[in-house]
Amino acid sequence: MYLLRWKVFLKERTVNRIGVVNLKNLKKTKYFFGIVIITFFAFTAFSSEGVVSKIKNANKKTDKSTGIHKSISLPKNVVKVKEDYQGGVFYTKSRKSEITRYKCSSCHKTQKKVMKNAANITHGDIQVVHGGKNKLECNTCHSKNDRNFLVTAKGTKVDFDHVYNLCGQCHFRQKKDWIGGAHGKRITYWAGERAVKNCTACHNPHSPLFKKRWPKTYSVPLK
Amino acid sequence: MSDKKKQITRRSFLKTAAAATGTATIAGCSGGLLGSSEAFALEFQEYFKEHYRLMTDEERTDTIERLERLSEIKKNTTIDIDSTKPQENVLYGYAFNVTRCEGFMECVDACVKENNLDRESKNQYIRIFEMENGEMLPDQGDGKFFHQVPRKGHFYMGVQCFQCENPPCVKACPTKATWKEKDGIVVVDYDWCIGCRYCMAACPYWGRRFNWNQPQIPKKEVNKKQHYLGNRSRVRGMMEKCTFCIQRSRKGKVTACVEACPTGARVFGNLLDPDSEIRFVLKNKKVYRLKEDLGTDPKFWYFND
Repeated sequence: MYLLRWKVFLKERTVNRIGVVNLKNLKKTKYFFGIVIITFFAFTAFSSEGVVSKIKNANKKTDKSTGIHKSISLPKNVVKVKEDYQGGVFYTKSRKSEITRYKCSSCHKTQKKVMKNAANITHGDIQVVHGGKNKLECNTCHSKNDRNFLVTAKGTKVDFDHVYNLCGQCHFRQKKDWIGGAHGKRITYWAGERAVKNCTACHNPHSPLFKKRWPKTYSVPLK
Repeated sequence: MSDKKKQITRRSFLKTAAAATGTATIAGCSGGLLGSSEAFALEFQEYFKEHYRLMTDEERTDTIERLERLSEIKKNTTIDIDSTKPQENVLYGYAFNVTRCEGFMECVDACVKENNLDRESKNQYIRIFEMENGEMLPDQGDGKFFHQVPRKGHFYMGVQCFQCENPPCVKACPTKATWKEKDGIVVVDYDWCIGCRYCMAACPYWGRRFNWNQPQIPKKEVNKKQHYLGNRSRVRGMMEKCTFCIQRSRKGKVTACVEACPTGARVFGNLLDPDSEIRFVLKNKKVYRLKEDLGTDPKFWYFND
């Protein structure tokens, strides 16, 4: 029914416009326009050189031994991360070299020696605001037996340099992003061998949330 | 070819004529009426130089030497102007984490210092908008907040030049003083800009800035590592914009805003490198671009965790 009506409509229209009834011609013109439209769409689809298509076409691995990558050397005090990112090996800043009182065992020894107020003098500034309601304790992360190491919930020892393995127990999503590159940031260079900041470079492990503060500057309205 | 060479073009005629008049004037006023005659001669030569894209490498080094010498004479500061070309197989891209940004404005401050922006008019390339949760466009946000941050129920969105792949500002420029480099950075030749601000009107993102007055920078804070197309000294009455810190990025460094960001909300890298951080973000995160429907194809993505 509808088809018939449509045909009648088309017929009437052609009559109105051209004044001649010729269905055969109409069909031809329809095909012609169809082909034109299809070729137009095909052309636009293949000729579009947007960023997205450029990105999709770029799958060749960059050679880190040529061009700009060659001239950039790794920053000082970095360690190889135990896990690979999508491009292979990468590095992170060493933490041990930044801790002023490392090694911890220089004070925390096996033999008992009592010093008055020692804990307050050395670690009195530490306030643990971490873990929400189930507030963390020192020994949740710091190893009881070997003070030079951190410890996971399962009891595996973690080196201070590879702290991401400790944080990653709970913050596994952030760890995944950090390895890939969506969390954290690189040290100075985008080119060359990948060297990123450690978790503790930005977060204070004892109270990791950024504190409320005044912004560094302000903007005036645009003219 | 030889015939063509012999012909005197209008430009070269004007140049010689001007140079002749210039030398005559200098010779006439050798007593020092015009201050340093060397500076005058250099400025004169600067006035008749070619468009940056049409310069040969020699001409480029010449003009850079002149600019460095001029700064030494006039401002008494030794600067190092660089003209590094775009690298092969590099296309810069940027991603901004809306969840992470907390509005500390460290990036803005670093940008101003890195790019020798005018301190007097508080010119800034980056704007951070404080937006209520649920808002989408920075037009709805507050761009001039000044209180303790982060504020509850708000998020922060940074806007700067998006280095469009199909830049409307380039099309609008009547003197071709702005163009897109091979590595995707849209740059301005400050000496060819006439300050008509057509590009400013054409940009749908408010990415361009106009110098209303002679930029004032404290002498101590001048960044001496400059690029011809980047942060070299500008004059009143021309446009400037974010260049992804061209003087840094072309040397392999991340931009000043990325380095300054205390929360790691900014990701910068090579879009053509499948292993780069920016590609990881594009592949694994929910990303969107501002006003994508305009077809400007910006190389700046927003994403959230």
